[in-house]
Order: sequence, then C-alpha cells, then structure tokens
Amino acid sequence: MELSDEALLAGVAGGDADAMAAFVRRHQARVFGLALSIVGVRAVAEEVAQEAFVRVWRHAGGFDARRAAASTWLLTITRNVAIDVLRVRRDLATDPIAMAQWLIAPSNDGDRVPDSIGITEALRELPAEQAVAVVLSVHFGLTAREIAEREGIPLGTAKTRVRTGLLRLRALLEVNRD
Amino acid sequence: MTEHDAHDELSDALAEFATGAASGADRARVLRQVGGCADCREELASLSAVADEVLLIAPERQPAAGFESAVLDRIAALEPAKPAPARRPKRRRVYRALAAATAAVLIAAGAALGVWWATAPDRELAASYRETLGVADGRYFTAAPVVDAEGGQVGHVFAYQGDPSWVFAVLDGAPEDGTWDVVAVTGEGTDAIATCEVADASCGAGATVDADIYDLHEVELVAPDGTVLTATFTH
Repeated sequence: MELSDEALLAGVAGGDADAMAAFVRRHQARVFGLALSIVGVRAVAEEVAQEAFVRVWRHAGGFDARRAAASTWLLTITRNVAIDVLRVRRDLATDPIAMAQWLIAPSNDGDRVPDSIGITEALRELPAEQAVAVVLSVHFGLTAREIAEREGIPLGTAKTRVRTGLLRLRALLEVNRD
Repeated sequence: MTEHDAHDELSDALAEFATGAASGADRARVLRQVGGCADCREELASLSAVADEVLLIAPERQPAAGFESAVLDRIAALEPAKPAPARRPKRRRVYRALAAATAAVLIAAGAALGVWWATAPDRELAASYRETLGVADGRYFTAAPVVDAEGGQVGHVFAYQGDPSWVFAVLDGAPEDGTWDVVAVTGEGTDAIATCEVADASCGAGATVDADIYDLHEVELVAPDGTVLTATFTH
C-alpha cells in the first residue's frame, strides 16, 4: 500500500532517507514545474527544486498536517525559494505578466494534475486582469505596489484586483463544490 | 477601534498575507492584529486556502535524469545537521548557556556604547571595547541588522570572535511563528547552526561556531515555509 504524504514526512522528520527518496519521486515533477514557471530557466529551476526538497528534509519535523496539505506546504516552500532566487538573479529576465497569462491558458491543460482543474476553471471565470493579479501575487510574490508598477495602474486598483479576485475565487470554488 | 473597523483596515493586508506577497513588516502587523479580530482570522483562513489552491495550477514538468540522486546527495552532505529528537533538550541547554554568556557581553557592549554616545573620546571607547571583549577572551565583536526581502529591519545578529566564537540571532518582527533555522554563510559554505523558536514574531537563539567570524559573510534565518531573512556582515 502506498504511504500517504503525511506518513512519508513523518519518516523524513525521523531522518529516514528512503522516505525522503519516495517523497522526492512522488513530487519532483510538480515541484520542478512550479519552479520552472517562476524562474523560466531549466538549470535554475533544478537548483530551486533541489533546495526546496533540502528544506523539506530540514523542516519536516515542523510540518503540521492540520494547517496545510503536504503538497501545499511543499509548493509554498518551492515558491518562496524561487522568488528568493528571482530577487537575487537580476539576469533572469522573466516576464511575470506573460507567464501568469500562460499559466491559466488552456494550452497547459494536458499537463495539469487533477486537483488543479477546479481552480484553473475558476480563474478563467474571473475578469482577466483579476486572474492575472492573483497569479502575480501568489506565484511571483509580487506586492500590490509591484503589480501596479508593472501594469501601469494605480496602487488602489492593484490592491482591489488581488483582493476582489481572491474573494470571487472563493465564491466560485464554494459554488462548484456544493 | 471596533472589531469591524479593524477588519476593514486590514482587508488589503489580509489578501496579500494570504497570497504570501506581504512584506515582513506587513506580515508582522497582520499577525499582531488578527489576534483581536475573529472576522479577520476567519477571512485570512479562507483566503489562504484559496491562494494555496492557486499554487496548484503550474503544469508538471519532469526534471533531468538524476534529480532524485542529486537531492539525496545534498541531504547526505548536510549530516549531521539534522538532530535526532532525543538530542534536542541537550541542544536547548546549550542555547540557554550561550544566551547567558551573550547577555553578559551585550550588557558590557551596551556600557561601551553608552560611553561612546556620552563623551565619545576615542581612548575611552577603545578601553570599553577591550573590556567588553575581555569578558570571554574575545578579539572581535560585531553586529548586523536582519532584513526581509523588502529591506525592512526585523532583528539583529551578533557575532563574537573569542574562545569560543559564537553567533546569536534576535528577531523581533518575524513574519510568522514556528521553528526557524539559523544558517551561517562563510567562504567555506553554509551551515545550519541553531534553530530559533519564533512566538509572537520574536525569538533569540545562537550557537558556538568553529568558523572565523571575519569569514562570516551572512547569517540567514529560514522559516519553515522557506522565507529567508538575512543579516549581512561587512568586516
């Protein structure tokens, strides 16, 4: 029987390298895919993904399944490592707005994991500018001020797009689950 | 301010906190204020759940062959950084002892700074500095601010070259509670030297180090979710 993510992380917290190897195998495509979508360069994305798993090894003892799913925790770590790299590596000339639009596009649907279908469809139901603002904030860690500068819009508008976008997504997800 | 007012004032900050984009200062402000606002806590929890789902949309991509081995090699190279649970109490005792030693030096350093601000004659400063270092056979004492990704100051790291040499980190504006790693970055590489248990945005922790403090470039504070705060030393 396949062990759950939580069971594997319990093993990792105890220093079990086999549990860590299984956890890496299970999630490496997802972690690498997220890292690549943020930093845009395969070699850099591999470094980011490796570092994310190293941090899992270091912090597995602090993982709390009551607060988040293991995959969410892992992807949050990956996102944070990738954003840190982007802030240091100014040579990585990524275009977050274009990438945010690309992430939502139907052309990627063949590579999505099943649990992302609901949120992807909900994002497509939002006004495009709100969907992009939410993705810029979540994936790229851009503050409302940074979004305003990149989009050439007032700060208040950027804040409203992020907040309203999240609230609408929440409503859409609740409706779809009912 | 009523709870309703508090909720309205925090609304935009809650959204950015939920997405993970808020600055360290904003995250600390939200953490302080949600304690007294039940509506804020409820909204933060629901918006965070939505933001977590948005992270799922990135398409899967397979890394190059050998990725798993590369990760496991890096982890093997970390040993013995990961302490077995049974050893933790001993480590905590080490921290407490270190905290006491640090306090003695910091008090002496405070006295030295007091002299500096009051009179500023170089020879008095030099004498006080020597006295400070003498507390633990020291040869060099330095400090650097801890800053978040936006440059906001959220703490300090003190470093002492002596017998023993040590590094002590203090956070007073950590963006989230939990167990943070204290990582020393030298010319030789990186080394996780301690853990800092953040509660109410604050913690203090340190450890003795083998490295030459003059070779200490940075100290990183790494949160469970990967957030990094950095103290950069200029010797």
